[in-house]
Amino acid sequence: MKRIAIVAIAALATGPAFAADPGVTDTEIRIGDVNIMTGAASFIGRAVSVGSKIAAAEINDAGGVNGRMIKIITEDDGYVPSRSFQALSKLIEVDEIFALNGTSGTANVLAMMPLIEENNLPTIVSTAPNELVYDPVRPSVFTLGASYSDAFYAQLKYINDNVDIENPVYGLIRQDDDFGVAVEHGYNRAVEEFGVEDAARIRFKKGTSNFSAEVAQLDRAGVNVLANGGIISGAANILSEARKLGMDIQSAQVWSEDMPPSVNLAAQAGYDYYVADYVALTGEANDAFLETAREYVSEDEIEAINRYTYVTYAALHAMAEAMSRCGEELTRDCTIENLRQLEDFPVGGIMAPISFNNENQLSGTAVSVYQLDADTQTFTRLTEFVDY
Amino acid sequence: MRTGHFKESTGQLIALTDNPTTKAWVAALVVALLAAPLLLGAYELGLLVTVLIAVVGGVGLNLLTGTTGLISLGQAGFLAVGAYGNAVLMVDYGWPVWLSLPAGGVISALISLLVGIPSLRLKGLYLAITTLAFSFIVSHIILYAEPITRGPNGIFVSGAEIFGFNVQKGPPLYFLTLFVSVAVVLLALNLQRSRLGRAWLAIRDHDIAARAMGIDLTRYKLLAFMISSFIVGLAGGLISLQIRFINIDVFGLILSIEALAIIILGGLGSIAGAILGAIFLTLLPEVIRIAFNLVLEPGSSFYSTYVYEIRGVVYGFVIVAFLRFKPDGLIGLWRDSKKFWSNWPLAY
Repeated sequence: MKRIAIVAIAALATGPAFAADPGVTDTEIRIGDVNIMTGAASFIGRAVSVGSKIAAAEINDAGGVNGRMIKIITEDDGYVPSRSFQALSKLIEVDEIFALNGTSGTANVLAMMPLIEENNLPTIVSTAPNELVYDPVRPSVFTLGASYSDAFYAQLKYINDNVDIENPVYGLIRQDDDFGVAVEHGYNRAVEEFGVEDAARIRFKKGTSNFSAEVAQLDRAGVNVLANGGIISGAANILSEARKLGMDIQSAQVWSEDMPPSVNLAAQAGYDYYVADYVALTGEANDAFLETAREYVSEDEIEAINRYTYVTYAALHAMAEAMSRCGEELTRDCTIENLRQLEDFPVGGIMAPISFNNENQLSGTAVSVYQLDADTQTFTRLTEFVDY
Repeated sequence: MRTGHFKESTGQLIALTDNPTTKAWVAALVVALLAAPLLLGAYELGLLVTVLIAVVGGVGLNLLTGTTGLISLGQAGFLAVGAYGNAVLMVDYGWPVWLSLPAGGVISALISLLVGIPSLRLKGLYLAITTLAFSFIVSHIILYAEPITRGPNGIFVSGAEIFGFNVQKGPPLYFLTLFVSVAVVLLALNLQRSRLGRAWLAIRDHDIAARAMGIDLTRYKLLAFMISSFIVGLAGGLISLQIRFINIDVFGLILSIEALAIIILGGLGSIAGAILGAIFLTLLPEVIRIAFNLVLEPGSSFYSTYVYEIRGVVYGFVIVAFLRFKPDGLIGLWRDSKKFWSNWPLAY
């Protein structure tokens, strides 16, 4: 009897302390997704949701994570930070999710951050790679994606190195928010490094739709290389105004401008603009991805696919890899530790391999530069994935 | 059946109610509210906190728009001022939350003078547009006053403690919000029955007649702005405690619209209406979500493609239908049902 007691105590003292975290059963792992499913930006949320769905279906088809099937639970936040907070509360308290993959915009993920930290929730932020998210680093938060600053620098560098412009005059137009600050940071780096003429810097209020005065200022300053910090309809309206004034410009844009709805709007101005993105927009990897997607989702969902689908797909695969390395005894601590050790994890070429083993727990920082053909509305890849 | 209602002393006149049934219901409500943390899960309690914050904001706006007749579309601005006031004083200056929260309200009240004074000659849509413009000015100031507000980066709000309890989550946050909302409701109920409240009602019904009766329009309109903004500022402070992160995106124009919807759906000019409107508007999306989840499989292709937008349409449709069939708002529905009950079986 005494021997049994000693063995039992020893086992308790030396054995792994496995305590099941919420969201894990013998057969299922619940992963949360807070996203923009309604409103003007809902095409982003839908794309994210489809990415998670394809990845989950693919993983489940291959036997799940050590036999456990992944279940995605999506909540809409309508792009309103207070609703993101409420949606994550619901996912944690009611649905008892294990981890989070899908975190809406920057302000939204920041609004959710206290809950994420409090619950030690393994989280991959794949749609808001803002410095505010990864600096200071939060132990359970991993970020996927390049900075807007690097994306703009990469495009301006490509233009500077490869496009023959007589008397280049640089100009910037950007939003008056955290995104705009990041864009200006990349622009600063470019104009200082290239020693080019920096003729105009214009700020506009988020939500502005009429840019006639702002673009007229750019025209008057003689700008012919533009860092266009507008988003979707904003970017399209800026290009449209430039076309009205007959400006001959090379325009660098944010990666939201490579999504089909944005291209439909912006291409009408007829500029073969540039984007830099940390996901592949064209090539074999994309074709293979679409083939996989057709196995798992409906035609309506295929229509919703864009760059955000790829990055969320990659993020869920990275999360699943970290969870699978925990074996049977899946805990949040173990998942976080494995995410932290992830190095060169391949994601089928739709973005650079994922490595979170750095001090910011940040990956996917390498970007490729692409150029639009406005007539065919297709992109040509100009550079490989490069860290700037 | 009651045949009359007589008040025979000053005490009876100033009592909020002398009806034993009302007192019993209020007592039951108080007990239920106090017991809520024991009965509800963390998420439901969080929803209740959101409802209570909406009650505070709704009652504040109701004093300005429902009672005084001054339409405001600047509530998001006042909420933002209260929230930033609380956050900056607490996080950067180390003020205790019991001081920073009301101080946020006071800052909001003082800033309301900036809108109130130039708006004295305006009413109706003109005033609504002026207050809307104020909201834009506030968002610009918050974005550009980076040394104070951290600009677009926002502020993480932490360290709010009262008697050693962290009042940013769970039951302590609930009880703080409950305390503030009960205090605000009592304040509003008493203000409405005071000289001040009667002056506001007179201004709402006919400002020229009110002036002819000797009511100082400047003073009373400014007081309405200040008191309403103080209360709305408190609601903003509570939002900053609940969400624990604020930036300008938290205080979008939609908040001003929702605040107006709360008091119109509840019943303009009624405190009980503002409370009912806050409950209705906050919980309606939850009810719709639960109803849809009962009928449809959330993971299905149809759900992820269409249902989120359909839910939004249903939300709007319910509000439109409600206003079409019950233009007096929820308080009208409540009065009708009371009348039906009192007159039964002769009700029609």
